[in-house]
Amino acid sequence: METLKLLAPLAWRNLWRNPRRTIITLFVVSVGLWSILAVASFISAWAQSSRDATLRLLIAQGQIHAEGYMDDPNISNLMPPPNEALIAALNSPDISNWAVRLELPGVVQSEYKTLPISLTGVDPEAERRISSIPSKIVEGRYLNGVEDDSAVIGLNLAKRLKTALGRRIILMVTAEDGWLEERSFDVVGIYDADTAFEDTYIFTGRSPMQEMVGVGDKIAEIAFEVPEDAALAGVIERLRAAAPGLDVREWRKISLIMGAMDATMGGVVFIWMAVMMVMISIGVINTQLMAVFERTHEFGLLRALGFKSRHVLWLVTLESILLIGLGVLLGMLAGAATVWGLSDGIDLSAFGQALEAFKAGDTLYLEVNASDYIIFPLAIWALGVLVALWPAYRAQKISPVEAMRQAT
Amino acid sequence: MKPIVSCKGITKIFGKGDLAVHALRGIDLEIMEGDFATLAGPSGSGKTTLLNTVGALDHPTAGEVIVDGQNLNGLNKSELSDLRLNKIGFIFQAYNLVPVLSARENVEFVLRLLRVEPSERRRRADEALAEVGLQGMEARRPSALSGGQQQRVAIARALVARPGIVLADEPTANLDSTTTKELVDLMYRLNQESGITFLIGTHDPRVMEHSKRHIEMTDGQIESDTRG
Repeated sequence: METLKLLAPLAWRNLWRNPRRTIITLFVVSVGLWSILAVASFISAWAQSSRDATLRLLIAQGQIHAEGYMDDPNISNLMPPPNEALIAALNSPDISNWAVRLELPGVVQSEYKTLPISLTGVDPEAERRISSIPSKIVEGRYLNGVEDDSAVIGLNLAKRLKTALGRRIILMVTAEDGWLEERSFDVVGIYDADTAFEDTYIFTGRSPMQEMVGVGDKIAEIAFEVPEDAALAGVIERLRAAAPGLDVREWRKISLIMGAMDATMGGVVFIWMAVMMVMISIGVINTQLMAVFERTHEFGLLRALGFKSRHVLWLVTLESILLIGLGVLLGMLAGAATVWGLSDGIDLSAFGQALEAFKAGDTLYLEVNASDYIIFPLAIWALGVLVALWPAYRAQKISPVEAMRQAT
Repeated sequence: MKPIVSCKGITKIFGKGDLAVHALRGIDLEIMEGDFATLAGPSGSGKTTLLNTVGALDHPTAGEVIVDGQNLNGLNKSELSDLRLNKIGFIFQAYNLVPVLSARENVEFVLRLLRVEPSERRRRADEALAEVGLQGMEARRPSALSGGQQQRVAIARALVARPGIVLADEPTANLDSTTTKELVDLMYRLNQESGITFLIGTHDPRVMEHSKRHIEMTDGQIESDTRG
């Protein structure tokens, strides 16, 4: 403690012997950390937005299917409607919404083209609560009820089929008896989502579709939504208990791409941190080596006066701790200020089409993630001090007589 | 009087083989308590090497140095640091002070290493500065002091812990004649009044005038050792 009291004021003053160099190092450390925190917030917001946007289209946060449906989504892998136990579980407070669907692969045909699609029979009321598709109608209307035998198709699919609102399309789906069933549908609505989704999904009322393929009240899936993603694992367990024999999955296991993106987003931040760390390390080592070389004589003087070599090691290390600590503090403040300054959201609507592949929403909302403000600053601080041990070690090795000889 | 420093057969060789330089060649020397001795000689005669060896900053290649009864041979780095802290005061030619510390803090520095209580530390530092005529300048940084004033601070720092001996290597080399005279008078007065032993490496005749003992070195050997 006594040594710290001796060295700390000396270390602090030594930092300001060359203010320009200290400020440059502070700038490198603080900008490095700021960029890590900003990138972490941005990527987190992007991942959140992208995940929300994708999950809100159709997947929701989890789905229940008959065993085998996910591997082969055909008419032989359907399941009965939810029984009382499952309905009770789905109506529990930790599930905010759920919807029952019949979804089967099929073919759509217009006067000009035949394309593969996925025909989805829905309950429009339930869909309005769980899916964003009803709010993405750009022409016409969404379905009116579970008995509505019209079709809602995607904007890009409409273009490819060269069809339009009010025209009729032919939908063909394999029926329960194994024969290909076809029926014409009026296009009453066109929705605007991302291109791949628009090309794939056609919506109609669930009852007419069940009747068309002759499956009675069988369904393909139950999609459900939870208020907090953190509670999802517990919900999945409870649903599995309520629906033995059914395949209950969370979104990460349904959309493998989304799951992989979610898992790799954190990795991107760590890669960025590694890049910044290399830059910060170069800056810190350069600064501290210069500071040590410039003060060779002074270290000799201090040693002559009775300073021990470990005091020199501590002094230079303490300077690094203070220098990097101050830079880290400034970086944290800058990071928090950036997030706070952009708390109203970053409007990306101008890049809407270019960013469609990333499936993010038009506005990104940055948030301060408390763990980011603990892990990254501590990592930068610790690694910065660690690399600065080398200059400190060199300073410690300086022989007093050699140091004095150099300067006289 | 007893010897504060005893050198027995000190040899110092820098380098090896054909490049070897014999800086000290079998020096036998005793510095007595209360001496005000000057160590003179041309450049390369070995003055600084001898001072460094006596000051436990450098190891002799052969021979032994005893400071205040303690043989330096066999002491490790940490023990040598303790010896320098407790028994030796240093005054160097230039760059003598820590630039980020005030005059008082520079003097206090040694006392802090000795773990002297803060109030006692401050009292002794201020007394030492007053003794060298720097009363009122305690808070000034070295950059705000003249060369002579800086050397006075260095003298105050060398004396504040009451070491057995003060080693000064060309302490007046960068000073004008008036300041040199003031500084030499000061060291001499401190020697006379407090009995502090000084060994001063110099080739400045104004310093030698005051010496009670004059040691002349040539080619790493003591050529003459006279008292007067």
